[in-house]
Amino acid sequence: MEIITIIIPLLAAAVQSGTPILYATLGEIITEKSGVLNLGVEGAMIIGALAGFIVSRYTGSPVLGFFAAGIAGSFATSIHGVVCLWFQGNQVVSGLALTILGAGLANYLGTSYVGLSAPGFSPVAVPLLSSIPVLGPIFFKHDILVYISYCIPPVMCLFFTSTRFGLGLRAAGEYPAAATAAGLNVLAYRWFGILAGGFLMGLGGAYLSLAYTHLWTTNLTGGRGWIAVALVIFAFWRPGRAVLGAYLFGSVMALQLRLQALGTQLPSSILLMLPYVLTVFVLVMSSWRKKTNEEPAALGVNVEPAD
Amino acid sequence: MSSRGSLIRLENISKSFGKVLANRDVTLEIMEGKILALLGENGAGKSTLMSILAGQMLPDTGTIYLGEKPVQFSTTEKAISAGIGMVYQHFKLVDAMTVAENVFLGQKGGFWLKKKKMSQMVEQLADQYGMKVDPGARISDLSMGEKQQVEILKLLHRKSTVLIFDEPTAVLTPNEAENLFATMKIMVKKGKGIVFISHKLEEVMTVADNIAILRRGEIVDRVAASDVSSTAELAERMVGREVLLQVDKEPVEPRQIVLRLKNLSGPGLKKINLELRQGEILAIVGVAGNGQKPLVEAICGLSKPPSDTVTILGMEWRKFFRKAEWDNALSYIPEDRQGLATCQGLDLLDNFLLTTRGGFTKGPWLRKEVAREKASYLIEEFDIRPPDLDIFAWQLSGGNLQKMVLAREFYRKPRLIVAEQPTQGLDIAATEDVWNLLLKAREQAGILLVTGDLNEAFVLSDRIGVMYNGKIVETFDTDNKEKLDQIPQMMAGLAVA
Repeated sequence: MEIITIIIPLLAAAVQSGTPILYATLGEIITEKSGVLNLGVEGAMIIGALAGFIVSRYTGSPVLGFFAAGIAGSFATSIHGVVCLWFQGNQVVSGLALTILGAGLANYLGTSYVGLSAPGFSPVAVPLLSSIPVLGPIFFKHDILVYISYCIPPVMCLFFTSTRFGLGLRAAGEYPAAATAAGLNVLAYRWFGILAGGFLMGLGGAYLSLAYTHLWTTNLTGGRGWIAVALVIFAFWRPGRAVLGAYLFGSVMALQLRLQALGTQLPSSILLMLPYVLTVFVLVMSSWRKKTNEEPAALGVNVEPAD
Repeated sequence: MSSRGSLIRLENISKSFGKVLANRDVTLEIMEGKILALLGENGAGKSTLMSILAGQMLPDTGTIYLGEKPVQFSTTEKAISAGIGMVYQHFKLVDAMTVAENVFLGQKGGFWLKKKKMSQMVEQLADQYGMKVDPGARISDLSMGEKQQVEILKLLHRKSTVLIFDEPTAVLTPNEAENLFATMKIMVKKGKGIVFISHKLEEVMTVADNIAILRRGEIVDRVAASDVSSTAELAERMVGREVLLQVDKEPVEPRQIVLRLKNLSGPGLKKINLELRQGEILAIVGVAGNGQKPLVEAICGLSKPPSDTVTILGMEWRKFFRKAEWDNALSYIPEDRQGLATCQGLDLLDNFLLTTRGGFTKGPWLRKEVAREKASYLIEEFDIRPPDLDIFAWQLSGGNLQKMVLAREFYRKPRLIVAEQPTQGLDIAATEDVWNLLLKAREQAGILLVTGDLNEAFVLSDRIGVMYNGKIVETFDTDNKEKLDQIPQMMAGLAVA
């Protein structure tokens, strides 16, 4: 009995801290499925977080803030689109630049908001479902953004496997020449991948500023964008496995916070390191299983526009 | 010129790239229900002509008539919607997707993909044309022949009326090629028109109704297949001189053993035993994918065999590769000329130095001027065109690139040569050159020739080993007539009494 009263809150906290990572990972999966490598997740997230915070603060509506965050995320990644899709720029360099740009911009624009709060989302227990023993308190006593995140992976799966548009998007990421030969506009699909992905990354950022903290601080994302990039590989580009990965990281983060609160002997810097150690470990483990490597074949390869 | 049943007509098509005239005044008619073979050596202008027809480029002058109407194919889209479909040598298929998904990719329809209906349609279509493919299979799990069938299904699904096959049998096993020909026959029976590009004479003879021969961009001859008496005659018409694809093979006394495999097993290989002596060519034949690749990789140092299974020049594998002498040792002539044998973005001198650098070093420095002298000499001797060491590897044609690889490898005076599909994709003249070079090299070396071309094995080898399912089924002398006749059965894994 004793152990359950410790574990359940811990797992509930894991879901909560895993949610922003889940949004960002799903966003990166869409982008990479279309063949574009976007290393600017961290940048898009923090821009989304700030936009969400500011809009919510001035309008008083966290819902508006949430959508503003998505749009800001798309806007941020559209820079990546311009560089890579219009000008055939190097995707790695452009993504890194987006990360640095996003962090700098958010710090600069957010200076005056540090320490201030904005209206955000509060937990709402789902009737019936939340009274299921064990699962209820873990999964169904959160804010609405968590519930929304539950719906995205199945929708994405359906989108990839069962819609004409999803088929085209995957073809753009696997073999652009074949897609072009089939009369598809590869660049349009890649734009969709970048913008839709950016939208989700922005939402992930908004979760941090509107639900996780309700506060603005500098460096709010704290490397979660990078974890998302690694998780895409861990997930083999499958939305379902991304859920698993995101909650795994969520639990390590939650555990690390608990341990600090309990006042263990371990230095806090070691504990703070845990999620990133796990990132390295997870990457090593995933590349071990090369056979299940489902990386889009044309990931990171630019396509020449048709002339 | 026009007649009933004409699907498409090219009239006086000319196209030049800079000063090179790729097509001159070509007039060609593709008829309903007929297979037209376009025969010509590499660089004769076949591909250019078909690219024009497929909408990849516009001709400088000349007109394409669709029925009686002049048309302009400025994009591939336009050509496709006019019913012209091309089966490329490099398949345009998405490996990670299923057969049905590839067939339906880019096709108009509702928002949702109806998987059951898609599978049914693909199956029906395949059935109509005598093909057998599993619509739910992933492309990456298919053989080359099956992939090609998917390409064909894509075109049929789009209701193409003219199908162009660009060297379709280059990647197929003899059996798969037979199936392809059967499918082509069904297609013409159903009223489609087919253009079959090839330089394999026997195939053209068996499958074509009409033959157009292209030489240096011009159509030099047009014959009905039934009027051609022999492949030799066709070859003569094609190159404009008599080619004897029979090279003189001087007997050479086999000397010491340069390669010995003892119970070599590993991924894709099962207990391989063989011996190769200096002065002989041992041909390994078989359907691609029966262990040839892992065999070559184990011998050439690309993968590590179990200890004491591979002995090269009397040394155990590990000892041999630890010493790794650049000359008087092992030369590997890979199948993948553009990838494994050369670096496309380096010039010919650097490519020459890739494997011969051991002979041109002085301390940490490369003696490039000495190398340049030697390489220029080789370029002349091997007749590599253009004779310029400063051009990049990608600028050479397939045949010249292969000659350049051979020149480099023979310069190392190897005692063991592993040659993988050395004449694949080369035209007759280049093939002949490569064959003569290999025979000459045999005087100094033992040659392991891995080939999918039985004729090549018969012409060149002293002994033949047949591979099936990772094993060497049998090894025998090339003059053993009885065994030679059994090769197809051995290749198919049927027990031979």
